Amino acid sequence: MRFVASTALAIVASCGGPRPEGQGAGARNIVVYTAASVAIPLRAALDTFAAHEQVTVQQENGGSLDIARKLTELHQIPDVVVLADYDVFPKLLMPEQTTWYADFARNRMVLAFTDKSKFASEVDSANWPKILERPGVQLGRANPDLDPNGYRTLLTLQLAERYYEQPGLYDRLMKLSPARNVRPKEADLVGLLQAGEFDYIWSYESLAQATKLRYITLPAAIDLGTSADSAVYAKATVKVAGKTPNDTLTISGQPIVYALSIPKAAPHPAAAERFVAFLLSPDGRRLMHAHNLDALGAPIIIGNGEPAAVRAAASAQ
Amino acid sequence: MTRAGAGAHAARHSTAAHRTASVVAALLGSLCLLFLVAPIGRLVAGGGKSGVGELFTDAELRRSLWLTAVTATLAMTAGALGGTPLAYVLARRRFRGKAVVAAVLDLPLLIPHPVAGIALLLILGRESAVGRMLLHAGIRVAGSPIGIICAMMFVSAPLYISAAREAFARVDPRYESVARTLGDPAWRAFRRVTLPLSARGLIAAAVVMWARAVSEFGAIVILTYNPKVASVLSYDRFTSFGLTEALPVAAILSILALIPLVALRALRPDRGAGMDA
Repeated sequence: MRFVASTALAIVASCGGPRPEGQGAGARNIVVYTAASVAIPLRAALDTFAAHEQVTVQQENGGSLDIARKLTELHQIPDVVVLADYDVFPKLLMPEQTTWYADFARNRMVLAFTDKSKFASEVDSANWPKILERPGVQLGRANPDLDPNGYRTLLTLQLAERYYEQPGLYDRLMKLSPARNVRPKEADLVGLLQAGEFDYIWSYESLAQATKLRYITLPAAIDLGTSADSAVYAKATVKVAGKTPNDTLTISGQPIVYALSIPKAAPHPAAAERFVAFLLSPDGRRLMHAHNLDALGAPIIIGNGEPAAVRAAASAQ
Repeated sequence: MTRAGAGAHAARHSTAAHRTASVVAALLGSLCLLFLVAPIGRLVAGGGKSGVGELFTDAELRRSLWLTAVTATLAMTAGALGGTPLAYVLARRRFRGKAVVAAVLDLPLLIPHPVAGIALLLILGRESAVGRMLLHAGIRVAGSPIGIICAMMFVSAPLYISAAREAFARVDPRYESVARTLGDPAWRAFRRVTLPLSARGLIAAAVVMWARAVSEFGAIVILTYNPKVASVLSYDRFTSFGLTEALPVAAILSILALIPLVALRALRPDRGAGMDA
């Protein structure tokens, strides 16, 4: 009984109140919300930072829109927010939560599979539409209303229809991944692919590499990975859920760019600044590359009010 | 002080202690009640009205509530059909490894639910032997209501089995023995004696299982995201549209779930009542 009481007291004490070291060099703990598709490279960067600065980092992974909702609806404010689509910042988080964001990495859509997938030995960058249409192939995709990867899949398929000059390809490929092959976000698909429920999933290159899946790359004109092809991408548009169930939002194709920010109300802004400065610095970029994330050579800051340390790191060569 | 005086003093003392204990117990009980009811009260206050309104306007919400009710009821029925004999054996028979079997049956309760979903997929997915057989028979587990029922059963049947086992254990085996000596075969003794005497406990067990099944999210979303049960729909609405759209779904689910819960709890087979005490 006494043991139970003292344990309960210890738990209560450890939860109690804001910790004394909130600011400056004293911060011992930072919380980072990360888009699930960059969870692994960010984990590596956070571990390096934590070891160097002797802080503990707490990483919470989710879909980009999930994360944005946590801030706007539940008022759970982390120290750093990392999202898979920079567009979510102006659409949902600015100016209430933050006044700036930094584009720091890019990604591309790929078609991921495993050795067990049907026709795994035959599929390549050119014949994939035909392989997917063979009978019995199960194709998984993420929910376009919840996850950037979901609507990017639709954009890629539209672009593929034009690129391969095959009218009707979009509809045919969509029929191959009906509602029952949809999951909330692309990271959820990986487990189902590995368990053999799906043969192929639409994913990101970084995620396929990090989870050691096989994948085929798609032509640059359809993979949403090349800034030079922005004009081509913009020709594809999809409608996704808007602000209410009766609203829709039109999204047009854009290169996939990851962005991050420090919320205005971050509990440990000084530590957050040091982490972001590290991540955007040449060292941080190298680290992300080593973990299969295509970090931008020169991070781009949009908006205003970004900390000076972040600006300096982003412009360092 | 006379002996009588001392006695009266002791009695007064014990009455005071008794009163203090009652007050403390009442306080703790009320706090617990508040802790459990306040969040749901807040939910219903916040989203109940628009939830009831949406019940008439939102076909997706109606479909999802209906799907939840049907799948949870089927999961409960399957759990009761398979779990009752299992619970009876655990309550009545002694055999080697019984403690291990009982512990293993509790395991699904402590596995994180997304992991439970993946585990079920490995056994029932199309790559597995069972899954291949089912697919051959035209039954798809992942992405179908069957997947929902499997996920619900996996996470909630242990609750039924453990409560049903307690219900059987409370019935004195001598009643069964008497029925047997009067010539009833084992099955009839069970049906005419044990089952009526434990009915109240079994119904309570089924109610708990049903409620747990209705609330499941993590395992279901792995196996079957579409069609969406109420828990998945409320998550979806929250992620896509925020709190104002998610609250009504959760609120209406709480309001509607109250009906079967109250109805089942109100069922009190008379013969079982005495045994429960």
